[in-house]
Amino acid sequence: MLRLIAKRLAGMAAIIFALTAVIFLLQKISPLDPVHAMLGGNASKAAIAQQRHALGLDRPILSQFWHYLGGLLHGDFGTSYRTRRPVGSDLGFFVPATLELAFYGLLFAIVLAVLLAFGTTLNWPGARLLRVVLLAGASTPAFLLAIGAIIIFYQHLGWLPATGRTDLTNAPDGPTGLLTLDGLLNGRLDVTVDAFKHLILPGLAVAAGPAVSIGRVLRSSLIGEMQSGYAKTARAKGLTEGRVLRGHVLRNSLGPALSMTGLQVGLMFAGVLVIEEIFSWPGIGQYTAQSIPVADFPAIAGVTLLLGVGYVVINTIVDILQAIADPRINI
Amino acid sequence: MRDDPVTTPVALIEDLAVTFRRGGRDIHALRGVSLDIRPAEILGLVGESGSGKSVLGMSLLGLLPGTPQTRGRVLVHGEDMLVAPPAVRRRLRHEHLGAVFQDPMTSLNPTMRVGAQVAEAADGSGAEAERLLKAVGIPEAGRRMSAYPHELSGGLRQRVMIAMAIAGKPSLVIADEPTTALDVTVQAQVLALIRSLRDEIGCSFLLITHDLGVAAQVADRVAVMYAGRLAECGPTDAVLQAAAHPYSLGLMTSRLTLESPRDTRLATLPGEVPSPADPPPGCPFEPRCALSTEACTETLPDAVEIAPDHLSACILPISEVRSHSVESRSVPHPPEPESGKHLPLLDESTVVVRRVEKTYRVGKGLAKGRLRALREVDLTVAAGESVAIVGESGSGKSTLLRIIGGLERADLGDVTHGRVQMVFQDCGASLTPWLTVGELIGERLPRAARKEEVERALERVGLPAEVAGAKAGQLSGGQRQRVALARATVIPPEILLCDEPTSALDVSLAAGVINLIAGLRRDLHMAVVFVTHDLSVARIVADRIAVMYLGRIVEQGPAEDVVGSPRHPYTKALVAAIPDFGVKPIPLEGEPASPLNPPTGCAFHPRCPIALPVCSDADLDPRLIGIGSGAARMVACIHPEVA
Ligand SMILES: Nc1ncnc2c1ncn2[C@@H]1O[C@H](COP(=O)(O)OP(=O)(O)O)[C@@H](O)[C@H]1O
Ligand code: SF4
Ligand code: SF4
Ligand SMILES: [Mg+2]
Repeated sequence: MLRLIAKRLAGMAAIIFALTAVIFLLQKISPLDPVHAMLGGNASKAAIAQQRHALGLDRPILSQFWHYLGGLLHGDFGTSYRTRRPVGSDLGFFVPATLELAFYGLLFAIVLAVLLAFGTTLNWPGARLLRVVLLAGASTPAFLLAIGAIIIFYQHLGWLPATGRTDLTNAPDGPTGLLTLDGLLNGRLDVTVDAFKHLILPGLAVAAGPAVSIGRVLRSSLIGEMQSGYAKTARAKGLTEGRVLRGHVLRNSLGPALSMTGLQVGLMFAGVLVIEEIFSWPGIGQYTAQSIPVADFPAIAGVTLLLGVGYVVINTIVDILQAIADPRINI
Repeated sequence: MRDDPVTTPVALIEDLAVTFRRGGRDIHALRGVSLDIRPAEILGLVGESGSGKSVLGMSLLGLLPGTPQTRGRVLVHGEDMLVAPPAVRRRLRHEHLGAVFQDPMTSLNPTMRVGAQVAEAADGSGAEAERLLKAVGIPEAGRRMSAYPHELSGGLRQRVMIAMAIAGKPSLVIADEPTTALDVTVQAQVLALIRSLRDEIGCSFLLITHDLGVAAQVADRVAVMYAGRLAECGPTDAVLQAAAHPYSLGLMTSRLTLESPRDTRLATLPGEVPSPADPPPGCPFEPRCALSTEACTETLPDAVEIAPDHLSACILPISEVRSHSVESRSVPHPPEPESGKHLPLLDESTVVVRRVEKTYRVGKGLAKGRLRALREVDLTVAAGESVAIVGESGSGKSTLLRIIGGLERADLGDVTHGRVQMVFQDCGASLTPWLTVGELIGERLPRAARKEEVERALERVGLPAEVAGAKAGQLSGGQRQRVALARATVIPPEILLCDEPTSALDVSLAAGVINLIAGLRRDLHMAVVFVTHDLSVARIVADRIAVMYLGRIVEQGPAEDVVGSPRHPYTKALVAAIPDFGVKPIPLEGEPASPLNPPTGCAFHPRCPIALPVCSDADLDPRLIGIGSGAARMVACIHPEVA
């Protein structure tokens, strides 16, 4: 286990280095001039030169790169050209919202996937309907799904809110920044409930695609394993189909589904950024969307690095879970 | 049903028919079988693959796959397992039935500790699970509770399966080929266990097996199945010693034992089993039966009592079958054209293996290890000679063959040999599925001569020329093995290497393939190196036998001598473990150690019944030394009574 984590940490360092290098290069070959973006088109030559010097853009490229890397090691992502604040503290402000949305998206995806897989394997009534709905959902682009959901559940039915994280003006802003959790920690159940309602539509929009992908993989491995020798043995013991599935088959079918979950998490990040835009979710999606037009490279770099790290972390967790599920895997 | 508790059967099958639907065709797996299983008996259910044995077992468990059409009744404790509601069938399985399946690795849940798996069958009680593990002879049962199946040897895994099967004192355990995946010395242990459990618990066993020897050894009664029908059923000695049905007779005579004559062709049954999709209207055995008459093609013969408690499904009177069998026995098999075995030219060796070592690196991480597959092996094969390499799983026999065949390189040592060709056990997998048989056989031939050569090769292996147009998937197992042999011999090699070519085949087909290999060898003047786990096969095919244990040859010598008067304690145990009628084996304890970590000194010492204290010395390294007169007989043992 420790070996695995150590290996993953090394992997993380490598990924961050590679990502940094790529971002840095992109920035250098980009025709967009961040100084222009900051000062506007009619700034004086002197002001531009001064700003270039202040940003360190007049130094040799390699030195700029090392400087940037060194800063990263100290948690310094640079200063956003746009907001003029350290990218680190900007991210600290926007990340919890995204994290909460991504977490619920993943949760919804897993729950739906399990329902889908179990339903078809055990022939539950209603499993077919769920499957059709999910399939339709997953084959629709996420943004269309989101817009459709807003029209139906917000505009027509008025069941669920469609913008922002909460309607409450006095929501606590600590300690975690995750509203559903902070509500509980501060004894404000109303906050938790309200935040959860706000999470349902964007969360489901994020979850639909991954749910079907994970559910399909889980379903086919469940069906295969239900025919296995040990399932036959379990039936010969007189267990019910449900117990054969839960007690024996499920754990043996997790491997492929977990791998798929790890893959889907990467895709989900991209989905989250789009969905945030549609639901006016104050997360890094919005931050990124505002940073790109003005070539706010420090901000874009910060977001990219964060997502890269998140991806590696999730996949490490997936590997560890796989090893826990299957004692034959040696790590 | 009768009230007498002693004779009330624990299970009663009446006119059971099961028809599956597959690929748009009806597969008649069982066609009207009646059978009773009595209290505390071991009923051996024998027959070739596809005869319906497993379907019968699954019917008893109420676990038929899919939704087949059924007819008749399968009564267990007064409930019909064919039609009872699922909850009732589950309760019966839980309370009154147990099951043991063939492959203990796949039949146990790989991600659940064995203690928990047994406890699940014992109503969740860990203490009971531990008691059961002890009862089936698992050493250190308490510690083994927390092991995962992959951490146990094959024999221990099968004991765990048996522990689950006997949990809750069932009245009937269905054991479907419980020893087929095990080594022969371990098989003997498991059979002994089944017998003693029957005596202690008093539960009945339905022992499904394709191996007549296994049935002979432990069964009280034997039922012989053929093509979804019961051919014969009766007390073990009556059925196996004095069979009444021509099919049972044929099975008994084509079966190999340690006494089968070596210098004649083995008796075989002509033809093959009829397709279950399209069974003939009359006696299913009719196309292969030497006694068949016009009447046999018309009606399906039912099993009738021919002697007390002895049923046979043949329309001929028993006296006629008997007189024929005496007749056929009194006529000697046609002798080989050259009398006796082909004499090898001993001074001209075609394979020389000298001090060969092979180590595989296996596993990852902490489980990384060096698997010592071969440890300084010497072997010489003379031109035209036939040598059998015998050993249990992990002994290195197939590795040695692959090294001789050049499929793998030795780490150390020298290997020299002439032109070789190989034939494998799983001939289906070694034949490219999209090529026709003609293309497969003709691959290495010049285009001009291809057609005739292919036809000649097919004729040599006893296949009609039309087979050339078929693909491998359309052939039966026996035909595929013949095609593999035709391909290997179309350009005659100097040495034919065979890796368990008969172990996937049924008795009657295996005998045919063995005859064929002997014939090819004689006609084409090839040497044969034949790897097998079965000493009775080795004795028939080989002039010389080499016995391997954990990467070493421990004994070698003329086939008849090695089997008839084994010297090494391991060879003795192997010979003694072969199940047969009236044999009381004294099972060798333990199982082959892992080649990942062979024991020091003589690697056999943990299991050796005559081991001396020095045998475990790290410095000890018993080498093959000649015994008796001449260098033909060699043994690797330091015991004064052996060497
Ligand atoms: N699930 C199934 N679907 C279709 N055919 C089957 C199925 N199970 C068994 N059969 C067929 O039933 C026949 C008897 O099979 P089986 O009982 O497994 O034979 P045995 O155990 O004697 O080798 C075979 O022809 C086999 O192909
Ligand atoms: S009924 Fe006829 S074909 Fe069938 S076994 Fe008897 S003699 Fe042979
Ligand atoms: S050397 Fe010792 S342990 Fe090995 S077979 Fe001979 S007596 Fe047994
Ligand atoms: Mg079977």
